[in-house]
Amino acid sequence: MRQAGAYSGLLCGGVSGRTGPHSLPLARIKKIMKNSGEGVKMISGEAPIIFSKACDLFIEELTRRSWIMAIQGKRRTLHKEDLASAVIATDIFDFLITLVSNSDSHAVGGATNVMEVETIDYS
Amino acid sequence: MEDESHNNTLPNGFNTGSPESPFLKTSTTTTQHNKEQDRFLPIANVGRIMKKVIPPNGKISKDAKETVQECVSEFISFVTGEASDKCQREKRKTINGDDVIWAITTLGFEDYVEPLKTYLQKYKEIEGEKLSIPKQMRSEQRLQQHHNNYHDQNNQPFNGAYASSNLISQPPYVPTDQKFSLTFSPNSIQSQLRQQDQIDSVGHWYE
Repeated sequence: MRQAGAYSGLLCGGVSGRTGPHSLPLARIKKIMKNSGEGVKMISGEAPIIFSKACDLFIEELTRRSWIMAIQGKRRTLHKEDLASAVIATDIFDFLITLVSNSDSHAVGGATNVMEVETIDYS
Repeated sequence: MEDESHNNTLPNGFNTGSPESPFLKTSTTTTQHNKEQDRFLPIANVGRIMKKVIPPNGKISKDAKETVQECVSEFISFVTGEASDKCQREKRKTINGDDVIWAITTLGFEDYVEPLKTYLQKYKEIEGEKLSIPKQMRSEQRLQQHHNNYHDQNNQPFNGAYASSNLISQPPYVPTDQKFSLTFSPNSIQSQLRQQDQIDSVGHWYE
């Protein structure tokens, strides 16, 4: 890309100049892949591109499910506890349970609150 | 460890240096800065994607964005590990796109497969039409693999790219500040952290 293009990207907020057509930076994705284990030798150019879309879908799904938790709590601000509740309630997010519960000791409390709400709904 | 506590995290996701080691602050901050940069996707990008799926009157707390940052990195590592295991079983050394899609399917994210294939197809079409974009991306990746972010860059477009990068993750700064940060690494990092401190309205440095 020519110099003018880089500056145009800069003035427009940098998204086009930095991530091209993708919403997430490919170089950063590749770095995270490299750091995921010693078994990772070489990564084709296609893999980070697929991950940029996969992560977009993942963030959307996680956020959507967390938002449902916030709504159940009569709130309109998404908090960490909502994410923990969504992770606990969704099978495919099992691999995140350790991560979200370690980052906040209130995660369990949040889950309890959700269960209480559900109990009330059923009665 | 205090340095890892969220209480010490500045708005852009960087950790402050440890108050117990004032004389090592610069090098510690630099190390943490680089590590933090490498471990997560930029919080601004993550926040933007999150906003797409909640109602306009909904809000997202900073701790929710940070938690999603961590979850996304875990997702990438989780899928990459599965894809890597498959490559090793098949005596291959390169993880390719099909391996990633296979791993995503295996780990329960079947709903993602069709959108991913559509996306890849469209990307290839764009690549055919605009040669400059993939070329720029490849150059950026190659550059990042071989150079520290804070080395002087003779090639102006790459400076622009890095400045853009900083702008995304540090909205309060103007472009000229970023150019200085590329040249005067130690001082500008401290300067940036101090400015963040002021904007944050919490005395992280003095805890």
